[in-house]
Amino acid sequence: MTSVPPRLPPAIELRRVAKSFGTVQVCRDVDLAIETGEFVTLLGPSGCGKTTTLNMVAGLEDSTSGDILLAGRRVNELSPVERDVAMVFQNYALYPHMTVAENIGFTLRMRGMKRAEIAARVTAIAASLELSHVLERLPAQLSGGQQQRVAIGRALVREPRIFLFDEPFSNLDAALRVKMRAEVKQLHQRLGVTSLFVTHDQEEAMSISDRIAVMNRGRVEQFGTPEEIYARPATRYVASFIGNPQIELMPGTVEAADGRPAVRLGAQVLPLPGDGRFRPGQKVEIGIRPEHVRLGAGNLSASVRLVQPVGPLSHVVLDWDGGSLTATLPGFSRLQPGERVSAAISPDDMLVFDQETGLRL
Amino acid sequence: MSYALYRRGGPGLRLVTIVGLVLFVVWSAAPVVWLILSSLLQQKALIARPPDLSPANLTLDNFVTVVASAAALGRGILNSLIVALFSTAVALALGAPAAYALARLSVPRANAIAFLVLATQMLPSIAIAIPLFLVISRIGLIDNVFSLGVVYLSFNLPIVIWILRGFFLGIPAGLEKAAAIDGAGVLRTFWHIVLPISIPPLGAAAVFAFVEAWNEFFFALILTRQSAQTVPLVIAAFAGQYQTVFGQMMAAALISVVPVIVLAVVFRDWIVRGFADGMMKG
Repeated sequence: MTSVPPRLPPAIELRRVAKSFGTVQVCRDVDLAIETGEFVTLLGPSGCGKTTTLNMVAGLEDSTSGDILLAGRRVNELSPVERDVAMVFQNYALYPHMTVAENIGFTLRMRGMKRAEIAARVTAIAASLELSHVLERLPAQLSGGQQQRVAIGRALVREPRIFLFDEPFSNLDAALRVKMRAEVKQLHQRLGVTSLFVTHDQEEAMSISDRIAVMNRGRVEQFGTPEEIYARPATRYVASFIGNPQIELMPGTVEAADGRPAVRLGAQVLPLPGDGRFRPGQKVEIGIRPEHVRLGAGNLSASVRLVQPVGPLSHVVLDWDGGSLTATLPGFSRLQPGERVSAAISPDDMLVFDQETGLRL
Repeated sequence: MSYALYRRGGPGLRLVTIVGLVLFVVWSAAPVVWLILSSLLQQKALIARPPDLSPANLTLDNFVTVVASAAALGRGILNSLIVALFSTAVALALGAPAAYALARLSVPRANAIAFLVLATQMLPSIAIAIPLFLVISRIGLIDNVFSLGVVYLSFNLPIVIWILRGFFLGIPAGLEKAAAIDGAGVLRTFWHIVLPISIPPLGAAAVFAFVEAWNEFFFALILTRQSAQTVPLVIAAFAGQYQTVFGQMMAAALISVVPVIVLAVVFRDWIVRGFADGMMKG
């Protein structure tokens, strides 16, 4: 008889967690279950409650209601240190009067570790983060990237159960941000420590995460893999938040054309998938991602308004009966403003949302 | 007027600025220059009308006399040092944690308490002089340096709390959060993180409190007799009933300001940074 190994509880679990500051409700009914070793990102615009959620997991904020569990244990009443989490802050929060070595070793000092052991651990972490040559410098004498690595080193040095990242790259320039993103992803692959990451940058979230929780007005709108979030957004909000250039959303009404469902957008009628999801007269919103607009084929007539080459791709903004539409083409497009083109959109590529609820149909 | 405006302005504006600055320097420096000059002049030349400032009248006799009769001045300086150091040290030791609590911890009605602390400074000295004298004489501590130190502490503590609270309000919250994650509680955060980064405002508050205590005259006059007399009283004693020995008085005054000047020069950067940080928020 083979025995089934017992399933481990999630590394981080939030059950109907809510947070209010006075009369302002910042988080409502947040439910999340993050498995051990996962890299999960809380993604959303400023003020959506993502940092507050992270702070509640860290123990830096108390939740107003709901349960926070780490490895199956309720931790609502525990202090940050008792939760065994490490955190990297948006502004690094390095102690300005301490050297790099002292910054990294501070947490070990607070735990009463012996000096020799602290020194050994700090040296090892500094070597792995290429900080060995700056150990005696103060934070003000470091570059932004080095400061960020010190902040990561401070989190790494005590080998926590959980890493929390609060927009750690938002103060870095674009090139360094991409580099640090790759470093953090590699670090996670190497160490496999459960990580909860907060960002408002959807590209960052897509590139780094195993799963993403998209937050809006204090709620989790969708929790899924980057592919699920991008290809099958649960709501109109998620669809519009993810993707660059943004998805085009156009209101329309479902009709029956030759016995098949279709949607009227301005003067145009576009066929919808005939899988029984739609009923005539239904008010919907059609979402079309730029890469799903194929130029040079189809019966959608449009004129070119703007061409924006960005290197490997060109974004072409089109005007047509139904409004405006963006198409993404490979390489440098030779199209000229005012030029007439024909475009095609496959019914299967269209994302259809209920106009009233915003839910994907 | 900003430096940029000064640079952009024409010659007229520059001239007005320079003249204004020169007048300000003269206004500020004149008493010090007069103090130095009069400490170096013989009594006869000093009280002549106008004072006879010829080099022949310059002498170090006043200093020699003051230093030779050093017992009174020496005791005054020692008393002032004890009183100023005691009230400064205790004001910092009590004021820093109090200011931190009022600035950063969830103390109910922290702002109201902070204003109450400041309100204690709004009473004129004369209003509390008699009750204070009665209390201190009842407990038998008239002419005692430590009772004078405690009185000065009651003036210095609110100021220290206000200077430091202004600085603590500006400390980024991330530092405290990072310390909490690193395993430091409130006390260890205060000791290991907050205090070391607060050295400039602590220095500024210390200098302020020290100078206040060093220069104080009124309460020293009513609460001391002989043995606990501080420097300002010793200097005032040079003004007798029948004769005031101005030169010796000025020499003693000059000697007494040396510690304050040394303090100000040594801690100049801290004072400027400390007050700038402390006064901008509050």
